[in-house]
Amino acid sequence: MNTDARHPAVMDYPRRDASDKLQGRTRYTADLGGLETLHAVLVRAEVASARILRVDVTRARAMPGVRAIAIAHDGPGLHGIGIADQPIFAGSVIRHHGEPIVAIAADTLVQAQAAAREVLIDTEPMRAVLTMAEALAPGAQLIHPDWASYEVLKEGAERGGNIAWEASVQRGDTKSAFARPDVVVVEGTYEVGRQSHVPFEPRAVIASFEDGRYHIQTSTQVPWTVRAVTSKVLGIAPSMVRVTVPSVGGGFGLKFDCTLEPYAAILARKSGRTVSLVNSREEEQMTCLCRENAQIRIRSAVTASGEIVAREAEVLMDCGAYGGEQVFLTTMTAHTLMGNYRLGSVRLTTKAVYTNTPPNGAFRACNGVYNTFALERHTDEICGSIRMDPLEFRRRNVVGDGSLGATGQVFQGDVLRPMLDRLVQMRPAKDPAVPDGLLYGRATTVGTWFVFVGPSTATVNLNADGSATLVTAGVEIGSGTMMQSLPQIVAAELGIHPSAVIVKSADTDASGRDMGVGGGRTTVSIGAASAAACAEVRAKLLASASELLQTEPAKLVLTGGRVEIMGRPGSGTSIQKVIQHAEMVTGPISGSGSFTAPGVAALPGCAAGHFIDAIDIPVFAVHECELTVHPATGHVTILAYRVVQDVGRALNPRAIRSQVQGGVVQGLGYALHEEITINTKGSFDQRGFESYLLPLAEDVVPVEVDLFEGAPSLGPLGTKGAGEVPILNVGAAVACAVANAIGKPVAQLPLTPPRVLALLTGRLMPQAATAV
Amino acid sequence: MAQTVSEALEVLSDQDAGAVIVAGATWVMRAQVRHAPIPRMFVALSNIPELGFIEINRLEISIGSLVTHDVLSKALLNLPALRALRQAAACSANPGVRQIATIGGNICAEDFAAADLVAAALCLDATVELHRTNGTQTVALADYLELRTHRRTAEILTRIIIPMSDKCSAHARLTMRKAGDYPVVIVSVSAARCSDNTLRDVRIAVGSVEATARRWTSLESALEGQLLDPAAIQSLAATHIADFTPREAAGAPGWYRIQVLPYVLHSACVDLRGQLEGNVA
Amino acid sequence: MTVNLTLNGEIRTFFGDPRTSLLDVLRETFRLTGTKPVCREGFCGACVVHIDGLAVPSCLRPIGLLQGASVTTIEGLAQVDALNALQLAFKDQDVVQCGMCFPGMVMTLSKFQETNPTPSRAEIKAAMIGNICRCTGYERIVDAVLSMQSRENAQ
Repeated sequence: MNTDARHPAVMDYPRRDASDKLQGRTRYTADLGGLETLHAVLVRAEVASARILRVDVTRARAMPGVRAIAIAHDGPGLHGIGIADQPIFAGSVIRHHGEPIVAIAADTLVQAQAAAREVLIDTEPMRAVLTMAEALAPGAQLIHPDWASYEVLKEGAERGGNIAWEASVQRGDTKSAFARPDVVVVEGTYEVGRQSHVPFEPRAVIASFEDGRYHIQTSTQVPWTVRAVTSKVLGIAPSMVRVTVPSVGGGFGLKFDCTLEPYAAILARKSGRTVSLVNSREEEQMTCLCRENAQIRIRSAVTASGEIVAREAEVLMDCGAYGGEQVFLTTMTAHTLMGNYRLGSVRLTTKAVYTNTPPNGAFRACNGVYNTFALERHTDEICGSIRMDPLEFRRRNVVGDGSLGATGQVFQGDVLRPMLDRLVQMRPAKDPAVPDGLLYGRATTVGTWFVFVGPSTATVNLNADGSATLVTAGVEIGSGTMMQSLPQIVAAELGIHPSAVIVKSADTDASGRDMGVGGGRTTVSIGAASAAACAEVRAKLLASASELLQTEPAKLVLTGGRVEIMGRPGSGTSIQKVIQHAEMVTGPISGSGSFTAPGVAALPGCAAGHFIDAIDIPVFAVHECELTVHPATGHVTILAYRVVQDVGRALNPRAIRSQVQGGVVQGLGYALHEEITINTKGSFDQRGFESYLLPLAEDVVPVEVDLFEGAPSLGPLGTKGAGEVPILNVGAAVACAVANAIGKPVAQLPLTPPRVLALLTGRLMPQAATAV
Repeated sequence: MAQTVSEALEVLSDQDAGAVIVAGATWVMRAQVRHAPIPRMFVALSNIPELGFIEINRLEISIGSLVTHDVLSKALLNLPALRALRQAAACSANPGVRQIATIGGNICAEDFAAADLVAAALCLDATVELHRTNGTQTVALADYLELRTHRRTAEILTRIIIPMSDKCSAHARLTMRKAGDYPVVIVSVSAARCSDNTLRDVRIAVGSVEATARRWTSLESALEGQLLDPAAIQSLAATHIADFTPREAAGAPGWYRIQVLPYVLHSACVDLRGQLEGNVA
Repeated sequence: MTVNLTLNGEIRTFFGDPRTSLLDVLRETFRLTGTKPVCREGFCGACVVHIDGLAVPSCLRPIGLLQGASVTTIEGLAQVDALNALQLAFKDQDVVQCGMCFPGMVMTLSKFQETNPTPSRAEIKAAMIGNICRCTGYERIVDAVLSMQSRENAQ
């Protein structure tokens, strides 16, 4: 099975949850609510902006089967990232369509829905601010008039009015660079709409109140965040909340926030029963914490030889009615928009803007996807202006060993340039056959992502039968990390087979604190913590074996479930015997380990309002797309798609290739079809699968993948997260290729057939309400 | 679960019951998702055997309203004149839905603008058989479509009847993806086979552009006697485009439907030409 | 209303509203949660089951139409603890990710293979139009289906 003899951790180890998933036996959270549980619904706002005059639940409470009702005063605390600006219930003000106002638990879902129709809500309408342009206009109505009084959870950012958060970067003197006589100035403005994650299992939770504590079983990527937010809004100690996580039916970042959990917890306590709360598909869609709509303005000063002497940018991110993840994500622009190319000087502001629209969130390669699109389209326009081959321009300018990042960090190793060369080698000798009448385009783009490192812990218990149990806060969301890379790492450290590693899924009562599964951090952070735990186990195991085998530990190796004397296979003993010995002498063997970001240095004073000043593990990607455009209909057909991805080290190459295929296809959806638009009521036009168009089997091609290994990484065994990044440059590669095919600039995603036809024919597309 | 048409009509006539006819049920089962009221009672026709039959004779093909897309597409394999209907039945929705969605449902779902079979049947001069408590009536499909939203009396559409001919027909549709979503434009065309490669007895039906599919009669007249030249027809169609007031939908603006309609017609004509060249030479 | 049907080989009886979808009956009455409710509109295919030999979305089938029908769900497709050849190919080639779409994918493609045992890549993709997968990007699934032919040919 080993595809790489270099390290025992490297193998195409198949996932262990496949059989149950293929037989329909896996119980996701949404499958757990049987007859024994109450079923809950949320009564949500049907307007975007209003004052609440009265909420009357008297009639609802009298409805058959109703067991508990919760309203604003049941969960009064505010939560948020950076600033605590969000209540779980609208109390006196509705700030977005779909905002929860009342939660109801009843014996059956039908009864809960019937009771929901009996809730009386009197409101006084207020003007709704639905676009960032309206929100930023002088004299705009404030979505949070009390913004200044909110608890600040992280100091140092500019904020005020409808700007929830502002992150800025200033390195060098851009002003004088733009004034240089030997530069060309290229400017561009780019826009993107919202993308909905559409995990097939919607957000779902089952809560109970047991022995004075809340037990929340939930479909989440972030059990520790759920614990923290639930306790904060309920005003209780975090230790009163236990979070466990069954199999998660897809997340893609949507489940990186606490959302439904507090309602179920409150209703469980009030009813004394177990309560299930599951979003309907429409709710899931209409309250999706989407990849945000954004506007990116970039301006560059470039010499005739292609040196970028200065770059300025402003990125506006719509955070919706509450700051949420976007506050944090303002940090990313410095690295995703400014981390690809060597820049003489940099000036950058990124603003998270409040609007009366449903809040946004994190979506796979969050912020990076559209910044890469904008940057790469801008790069191609620079190449057009200075008449340089786009590939040559990239070869000359991509960051390499010793390059200075936007915030002054120093990159290590030449990675992107050799990756570009590898991509060119992947091209077939012959150009593709293009049917008559179709317009052909090809483009090659680069992207920079990074792993959110952050704190993780792990415990490894060695069992008497020679197996090991790994306890972490990790969650299996489908990417396979908990099924593949983590057991592979532990197995290799302990000289056993991955199938002998039991991986406990997240339970905040069992594992230590963790940031959650996202950003490609699981293999790196939990993997490193697991490796550290294994080091302790190893040391204990070898010490015990040393006594048994009368050989010093340094001369012992762990392999094939045995402890062997180095150079003398078969001379040692089984791990079971060593464990048995240890139990009598020192007790059972276990170890724990932890890990956190070491913190790479940035230049002091460069960055303001950033959560991460410099990136610990950059991840690079090169994508190439070949496509055709139909001149009569605007349809884009993908002919070929190639990826060179920087993975550090591929522990499970087959699984990584599957992540790349899946991530690229999600990106094709974003590039070509998937768009949430906001109507005049402040709600989404796309309520379901009829109008929100996900890629289908006939729309995709097999992605050609080359895994680039050997770039520096502080991850265990040199790994980097591989599941997050495949979506990063897809919008960019498709947009640049379409621009090349039609010979016109592309400044907006997605490139739906009407939008492409409008570009081809010079028609102005009426802007959707989300557009700035 | 009605056992006979008259039994179904009886239930339907009782205004207080709030009953609706269900055929394949694929449309009514989505009522909640569309925010439409869920009818209080379903009157199922699937136990009435004659509604599931297809009868073919020298003069006509008579299709029971409960015949599914999948069954229909297989039954029409050897009937080149009905190619448009076969193509429509074989390409609409997705394989799972094609096994349950029926031709009767396709015609009777009045809110469903993107019904492939409706456009195809229109271009083939289909008539429909309607059962009422006071008798049975056969009306042209076009007339039925026009009046279906104003129906007051209880009636059941039992059969779709298409005259046999030696014409050629073709069906073209444009979806946003390769397939799987509702088409933004549907065009079905039929024409007589003429040895001089000119068009006679042309029928063009357009679906999904407006709320209800209909014939494009001004263009039909203009094409009568013209050569079957897809590019020329596309250009001519563009000059008749004002005949349509397109519907708007998020992601599928009216102007787009109008702009691509001549091209979709072109695709249908290319198919038609292929058949004529293959058969007439 | 009472509906009798054969479910995974056993005669079962449903009492209740005949307008209820088979999907809800399977999940709520019989607690067969392998059939997944995702879009409830017939687009996604996650709830596909076999009804009288046809692979159809159970969300669009009111239980009242199924008197006397024979229904097979993912739980009844193969013997307990046994995978059919298609499931085995998916497992061996590690194509599963979050897994929510796979019960429906297996039901659709198992039935498809009965009538078309040696499909082309394009035919497999056309058969999957009503089965959406948000994780995998489809191609590995298609590869796994194709690999079953080469294995059979090799034998």
